Amino acid sequence: MISLIGFIGLIMSFFCNVVVVTSYYFRINKRFNQIFYLALYCGLFFICLSFFSLMFAYLSSDFSNFNVFQNSHSSKPLLYKITGTWGNHEGSMLLWLLIMNIYNIVFSFNTTLEDILKKLTIFFQSSLYLCFSLFVILTSNPFLVNSIEVNEGLGLNPILQDPALAIHPPFLYIGYVGFSLILSLALAGTISDKLDNLWIKVIKRWTMFCWLMLTGGIALGSYWAYYELGWGGWWFWDPVENVSLMPWIAGLALVHSLMITQQEQLLKRWIVFLSILCFSLSILGTFLVRSGILTSVHSFATDASRGIFILILFLTITGFSFIVFILKAPHSNKKLNLLFINKTSALIINNIVMLIACITLLLGTIYPIIVEVLTNKRISVGAPYYNSTVIPILLPGFLIMSIAPMLSWQSNKLVKLKNYIYLLIVTGISTVLIAYLTKFNIWAFIGTILSLWIIATSLLSILHNCLKNKFNKFFIYNNALIAHLGVGFVILGITFSSIFQTKNNFEIETGETINAGEYSLRLNNLQMLEKNNFQELQGVFLLYKKDKLLTSIKSSKRYYYVSKIITTEAGIYHDWLKDFYLVLSDEKNNKWSITIYHNPLVSFIWIGVIIMIFSGMVGVLKR
Amino acid sequence: MKKIFLSVPLIIVILITIFCLVFLLQNRDPTKPPSALLNKNLPDFDIINLFDNTNIISSKNFKGNIMLINFFASWCSPCKIEHPLFFEIKKNYPSIILIGIDYKDKGEEGINYLKTMGNPYDYVGVDNKGSIGLELGVFGLPETFIVNSKGIIVHKHLGPITKKIITNEIIPFIQ
Amino acid sequence: MKLYLLSNKLVLVIFYLSILLFSTIALSNEVIDYKVKKITSGLRCMTCKNQTIYDSDADFSKDIRKIVRQKLVNNHTEKEIINFLVERYGEYIAFTPQLNRRNIFLWIFPFLIFALSFVFFIIHLKKNPTK
Repeated sequence: MISLIGFIGLIMSFFCNVVVVTSYYFRINKRFNQIFYLALYCGLFFICLSFFSLMFAYLSSDFSNFNVFQNSHSSKPLLYKITGTWGNHEGSMLLWLLIMNIYNIVFSFNTTLEDILKKLTIFFQSSLYLCFSLFVILTSNPFLVNSIEVNEGLGLNPILQDPALAIHPPFLYIGYVGFSLILSLALAGTISDKLDNLWIKVIKRWTMFCWLMLTGGIALGSYWAYYELGWGGWWFWDPVENVSLMPWIAGLALVHSLMITQQEQLLKRWIVFLSILCFSLSILGTFLVRSGILTSVHSFATDASRGIFILILFLTITGFSFIVFILKAPHSNKKLNLLFINKTSALIINNIVMLIACITLLLGTIYPIIVEVLTNKRISVGAPYYNSTVIPILLPGFLIMSIAPMLSWQSNKLVKLKNYIYLLIVTGISTVLIAYLTKFNIWAFIGTILSLWIIATSLLSILHNCLKNKFNKFFIYNNALIAHLGVGFVILGITFSSIFQTKNNFEIETGETINAGEYSLRLNNLQMLEKNNFQELQGVFLLYKKDKLLTSIKSSKRYYYVSKIITTEAGIYHDWLKDFYLVLSDEKNNKWSITIYHNPLVSFIWIGVIIMIFSGMVGVLKR
Repeated sequence: MKKIFLSVPLIIVILITIFCLVFLLQNRDPTKPPSALLNKNLPDFDIINLFDNTNIISSKNFKGNIMLINFFASWCSPCKIEHPLFFEIKKNYPSIILIGIDYKDKGEEGINYLKTMGNPYDYVGVDNKGSIGLELGVFGLPETFIVNSKGIIVHKHLGPITKKIITNEIIPFIQ
Repeated sequence: MKLYLLSNKLVLVIFYLSILLFSTIALSNEVIDYKVKKITSGLRCMTCKNQTIYDSDADFSKDIRKIVRQKLVNNHTEKEIINFLVERYGEYIAFTPQLNRRNIFLWIFPFLIFALSFVFFIIHLKKNPTK
């Protein structure tokens, strides 16, 4: 019954949007306005009905629904029953549709844009909605019903039963899918030739919002990978991760490009191109992940026919957009005021660097496919490739980023240049000291000096601003600096946690203590816990610093009854300056083998990201 | 000139679509990479007879005949499923030499396995440490290699063979 | 007295030699461990989904780690070991794309467009008079 309601909601939402799209052609008609918006709101109503029907089916463990049967179990905790709605291919695509529709409705309340432009944007957004709706209805219907009666479900992968991973898809999709609105705005503006300041204002706010949510989504995924997957890392250049990074980088380039326009110089064509690029990368990413064409740690249940459908969607939507781009791309009459070095050129450098990084990621991800089709040989393009290409390419961007917010638009002078030079000398000396103490690794040196320089200059610039303006309009002057400060922290965290990570294996017995420097670790006891869907063998370890008890760290092995999978849960001790990451391995003769990772400055990564997200929120909300 | 620049993104989109489409339509399995030894000579290695440890034959001895080398083990469940099909292959194509390699089994387990399931192979070798498997790039059982009369590896199949696979993948190389 | 001093010196010599020997063994073990980590971090576990041989617990990874260690002890170079594995398992096992004709585009392209855009940028700068 609930599946029927859900399915009807899905179909009705499709038809409502058909009405929206077709009624646009009759916009001269008097009643057009009413029908247009009525259909739009009904469309939202129906997709909400559909989505919440599926969620209800999960909540009530309605196993007559095939999707619920495949992915859920009555013993699953309530939170994961709810979030399990999008923990599978069909459900997540339904979430995609819901978000796409919500963007359309929220945008319809916009009062800044001219009415014609607004309606054309809604038209395109509804058209995009129809494309993906068709995909869900024809190939990924979450409302299929079981032909036989079943009492119990097959269960959900235990690795997915986790709070961070539960909210990671919604955040990610609000970002990813949000770029569809950016595309719609770009197409509407290009076709009707209304890429004016109002359009810039609107698209700027939406882009910032989407990018911000995407940052949160990626960070959540990374954080989850860090504490869940058991090998102490948080970024693996895995295809699925790269696929989420590409729209993020393009979005970042777009956010920066939209800033140039505020000072009478317009890069309309470039902005339209980036707007198309963001969503194209989202669709391509969806294809790469869900078609099964790439091997990844985080794979979805795959199907070649679904893959081909998304590929056709990719070709159609992106092809159409780029054809519009070729035919109607705007011309900028004004020449850019490029000096070395003023704010405009700094932003251009940022764009170049970001785009090349993005292209390199794309090339690395697609290359194995091309090679295998042409030569029947399979190659791997993994972390070593991206580390040697993307990171060096980003370096000039990071360098410029430090002083960019303080540069002038017109001249190539930097206010209070002397202070910055003193700061550079101080940073240089401190870095050399640190490098000497940490046995000089070239990447550590580059990362440290770059990040310290960024952090120091950002703080100095904020200080200059405060001295000049007191706290008037604090966030208007300092928002970019705050964002860059966050980036500085992230780079510092990444540098130290990847280069200076240490991994040690030990064998330990209950009651035994291991000593390492000023720390000691004691295996206090092992306990068996019973939860409703798994059994846990937990090792309780006590961490001492200089013989004083710091905390207990618990690492465990879990056996999930339904899926019969054994997972290992790491125990983490978080400190501002380091993380101890403990993984319980195997037991032999009463001795447990454990692995302890020492990850310095990991917290800086999360702190930096939070600063970046905060700055993004300010950017969206400020007038 | 500018128009060419503007068309670059569109061209890239079309190219990506074509390559991905061809990849999908060719039914390539991302979990099964094509063998590195395709169209190369079968490496030389010594095979110790499973039933008689003193009987050692070099792979060179089998040259001149079409060979089907199948890696199996008593601990491998998919191997049990494909096992009966080898009798059929032997019956229908007697000219092929069927070589079985018992991979990483301990002691008598391989012999017992063949006693229970029957022995379709012309020659069975034992590879306790996996060194023969290493030479041929074996990583997951079962794996089946087809070597032509010139000693060149012409096909490798990962996973259990089925009647369909025999018809589509194995027969073409045997003609 | 002389015999006492001589035997003392002998003990000292043996002591220092054994420290030297011990530290070379310990040091070389450390070096080999480091090299195993370095090499296996760049190799793919063929039975896993996108994990390195260093990180994976699979049987296949354990075997390959043993083989890499053995070859290092026998003084093979990193390049020789990787080539050995690539010959048998294909380029797929190496996470770093090999430098050959097929992959040259992959390696050169990023730096090529980087250089080109840098040149392009400089040219545009020159076109604008500095104020």
